[in-house]
Amino acid sequence: MNNSNTIIYVVDDDVSICRSLSLLLKSHEFRVETFTSAAAFLAFKHPKVLSCLVSDIRLPNINGFALQEKMAEEGIITPIIFITGCGDIPMSVKAIKAGAIDFISKPFTDKKLLESITLALSKAKVLNKDQAEKAKIKQRIATLSPRELEVFHFVAQGMMNKNIATKRGTSLQTIKIHRGRVMQKMQAKTVTELIHLAQKAGITSSSD
Amino acid sequence: MKKKIIVNPKKVSKVIKKSAVKKITRINLEDKIRRQTNAIRIRDGQLKQGEDREKLGADRERLGADREKVAEEQIHIQTKAMDSASDGIFIIGAKKFNFPIIYANTSFQILTGYTKNEVMGQDYFLIYGVDADLRVVEEIKVTLRQGRPFHGEMLNFRKNGKKFWSSLRITPVRDARGIVTHFVGIQTDTTLMKQRNLEIEEQREELLHVTRVGKLAEFVSSLAHEISQPLTAILAYAQAAQRILAGREPQLQEILQYIINDDQRAAEVIRRLRYLLKKNKPTFESIDINVLINDTVTLIMPHITAKNITINFKLDNKIPLIHGDRIQLQQVLLNLISNSIEAMESMDGQRELMISTLSKSADMVLVEVKDSGYGIPAENMKKLFSHFFTSKTDGLGMGLSISRSIIEAHGGRLDAKNNADHGATFYFTIPINMKNANEQ
Repeated sequence: MNNSNTIIYVVDDDVSICRSLSLLLKSHEFRVETFTSAAAFLAFKHPKVLSCLVSDIRLPNINGFALQEKMAEEGIITPIIFITGCGDIPMSVKAIKAGAIDFISKPFTDKKLLESITLALSKAKVLNKDQAEKAKIKQRIATLSPRELEVFHFVAQGMMNKNIATKRGTSLQTIKIHRGRVMQKMQAKTVTELIHLAQKAGITSSSD
Repeated sequence: MKKKIIVNPKKVSKVIKKSAVKKITRINLEDKIRRQTNAIRIRDGQLKQGEDREKLGADRERLGADREKVAEEQIHIQTKAMDSASDGIFIIGAKKFNFPIIYANTSFQILTGYTKNEVMGQDYFLIYGVDADLRVVEEIKVTLRQGRPFHGEMLNFRKNGKKFWSSLRITPVRDARGIVTHFVGIQTDTTLMKQRNLEIEEQREELLHVTRVGKLAEFVSSLAHEISQPLTAILAYAQAAQRILAGREPQLQEILQYIINDDQRAAEVIRRLRYLLKKNKPTFESIDINVLINDTVTLIMPHITAKNITINFKLDNKIPLIHGDRIQLQQVLLNLISNSIEAMESMDGQRELMISTLSKSADMVLVEVKDSGYGIPAENMKKLFSHFFTSKTDGLGMGLSISRSIIEAHGGRLDAKNNADHGATFYFTIPINMKNANEQ
């Protein structure tokens, strides 16, 4: 893996931890950004590269769990690895259930950390891909006219053309034309594909 | 106190006249008697003929009557006082061979549960029923027969059989010749006080323990946390340096490795300290071991899939609930599963993890964690569960010995064996929750 295109974010209020982890990860050719508080991390302008976050739980003001929550709120999908000097099993379960990749006790070996980072980055890849796709689909949906959008919704639910026609009170032919345009704009070759696209974009329920 | 009073005769007659006019109140009665006594004494010395002697006699009689009244009153007050006392007071006769009760105040009656009528004239020792401590009763008897005072605290039983603690003091009463004629006893109910003292003692113990353990635990916990920071940093620095020097400077590499080893040794100490301080007494509850296994696997799932390990379950859904500490058992499961994962690390072939549960006997459940690794070498088998044994290059070796302690504390056994085909199985037994079993 070409590590130079990835950033590992390190958040720990202990300067030694930040510095030593920075040196360690840089020796593995990662790009590293360190912060001594959650606020500093959130304020940083994140470039759009593959990344993951290594964070302590005990932090000033906003602790690790609060940071995890905030990131979820703001739609930041960077995977989190928690490192801590005082963890216990209930805490680790809580962290993992909230979506953390791993929960490592200090002190840890470089091997342990790198394993978790590898895991986190592969997850990040998947998440980024999903996010990009979703954005693209939403872009295409934005190009649909109101009528086309309606038809899209009905088709996404699995309704047949003639039923849509009855429902909308228009002719079957009109519906067929609309559907054709929708397929074109959405770049779907089959109806099944269209339904998948709808699901990926998060449009599954009807909106009459 | 009898003072010699030198009185001016003139003044005395004035006083007598005055007191005759004044209303005599109770308080003044004694004064009156005193004065009159003095007056009569003086008059005796100055005796006149005839009518004076008669008057003297009458005065004497009146004085006698007043004296009686005061004496009666004093007795009345004293009796009332004894009866009002919150302690039990009783008087027993000492002349006969048995010790008859001749007085028992209200509190004594309430304390013992016997009424005045029931005890008056009765042998004092009849109060002590069958349940009383015979040794103490004998001791009291012997002490009283020797005319000596008794003091002790004992467990008593009321007439209705109810228990109470009392402090008992029986003191001899002697006549003018010094012979013991009676005993007076004071009995105080100390049940409440004893209970309170016990509670206070318990609370103090608990507080001391909690403070000692709590403060210590807190202190060590924060110490452990503080120390783990530089330990982490040192480890990371050394490992970073190792990487940078990869393939060069063998001597520096060696030194760096020593730094890493010692750092890990320190980390182990901290880990052990932390473990020791965690309240080692497991908090038991009813646990569905299958659910616990599922939860634990969920926790570690990312690692399982990342290592291309297939995990299979053979969980018997008919096994009863087990009796255990959820957190500690989860620790054991995590330890065994991650050990198995490590064991299959360098395997090229099929990586399979199999977790199974089944009823071992009427009161035990068996849990097995089976891997398809290389198995455990014969020479390691014996040392497997000892504190610092590890075959991993950067492992710490604490897991299995702690796991074994936990399982043993639960009343089960943890052991390992090599599989017939390949790999090893770690297995442990756990007692089922007997209470539930009986209810099922």
